[in-house]
Amino acid sequence: MRFYKLQAVVLKAVNMREASQLLTLFSLEKGKVRAVAYGAAKPASRKRGAVQPFTCSLFLLRRGSDLDSVAQCEVLEAFPEVRESLERLACAFYLAELLESATAEGEPAAPLYWLFLETLRALREVDAQVLCRAFEAKMLALLGWQPCLEKCASCGGSVDGRRVSFHVPSGGILCPSCAGRLEGALTCHRGTVEWLKTLLRWETARLGQLKVGRPAREELKELLQKFMAHHLERSARSLAFLEAAEHV
Amino acid sequence: MEELAKLPGIGPKTAQRLAFHLLNSPPEVARELAGAILRAREVVRYCSVCANLSDREVCSICADPQRDREVICVVQEPKDVLAMEKSRGYNGLYHVLQGVISPLAGIGPEKLTIKQLLARLSGGGVREVILATDSDVEGDATALYLARLIKPLGIKVTRIAHGLPVGAHLEYADEMTLAKALEGRREWP
Repeated sequence: MRFYKLQAVVLKAVNMREASQLLTLFSLEKGKVRAVAYGAAKPASRKRGAVQPFTCSLFLLRRGSDLDSVAQCEVLEAFPEVRESLERLACAFYLAELLESATAEGEPAAPLYWLFLETLRALREVDAQVLCRAFEAKMLALLGWQPCLEKCASCGGSVDGRRVSFHVPSGGILCPSCAGRLEGALTCHRGTVEWLKTLLRWETARLGQLKVGRPAREELKELLQKFMAHHLERSARSLAFLEAAEHV
Repeated sequence: MEELAKLPGIGPKTAQRLAFHLLNSPPEVARELAGAILRAREVVRYCSVCANLSDREVCSICADPQRDREVICVVQEPKDVLAMEKSRGYNGLYHVLQGVISPLAGIGPEKLTIKQLLARLSGGGVREVILATDSDVEGDATALYLARLIKPLGIKVTRIAHGLPVGAHLEYADEMTLAKALEGRREWP
């Protein structure tokens, strides 16, 4: 078949030639897909709204010898409120970059698609910082990298105490004897580990009910971002803007 | 031909056509073109006030006493100044950011002329800043970031309207554009 349909969220749109855009889509059916939207940057183009980043659209794609191209597209959900707040927009850029770097082209990943969509929806009412942490934790879990938070990630022993060691290469918390043996462990409050479990367990839409204090937020950010950078083998570029948006 | 093909939008065929055109033209055509390119490259620099391209220290717009100095329109690129000037609907000053915040490309606020803009504004005398960045996500991110920095200075911050282009048919407009057009509706006539 020369044409096929995809329901996808636009992760990225890069200008290409005069008025075309190279899109990175995250689709329900095929995971990450790249496609060209010819003429999408022209003022009269009907594709323009549907190819905006962080928009969920229905695409009719035409197979090409190198890249597929957008034949038709229609907006399903536009998330205009994301573009009205600096924090939300910075969060959406960051989450889109995480999703882009953590997934391979053409590999279906429906749970990740729904997670991204639910997170964009939740941005209307949930604190952007909490949503970023929840997305990181849930994405790690869906990719098979869920941190070990119940017992020692190294020896399987029990972990007690108000302060806990978290070792990124081992994949979770450590008991005191392993923490003394392994270098580079981060320390955090036991409460932060409990917050992390809550973020993993709770549905994204309910996260607005959580009131996470500043110290726990800072510790969660450090843990999850180091964990994420370890698995993705690089830090997200958009992290700098996320930080700038939080502090400006 | 190889040198011409390095220019944006010029493929090998166009480069060949241009090269043959120059070779078939009288020698002064090539000389004038080369001279103009060299002169432009040597003379043109960034205006020390607004960061627009200029052949002088201060560009003609910034130096014009007829312009409204209380309003500054912030644009992404020098070509946006040209577009605004063509409209003949604006008589204030400009500030050219020399780009746009693009988190995914690693372009942060520190790579733009935001510091210069804030220094200009802190000098006083500015009543309104018009944010005329593109209406894409990068343009919105830049406008939101600038608004956050400028509002505490007590200066009115506005954003150019988004909606249907002149002459457009409603049925061909996309949903986002229509929503923006409805949002920005005003009493008529």
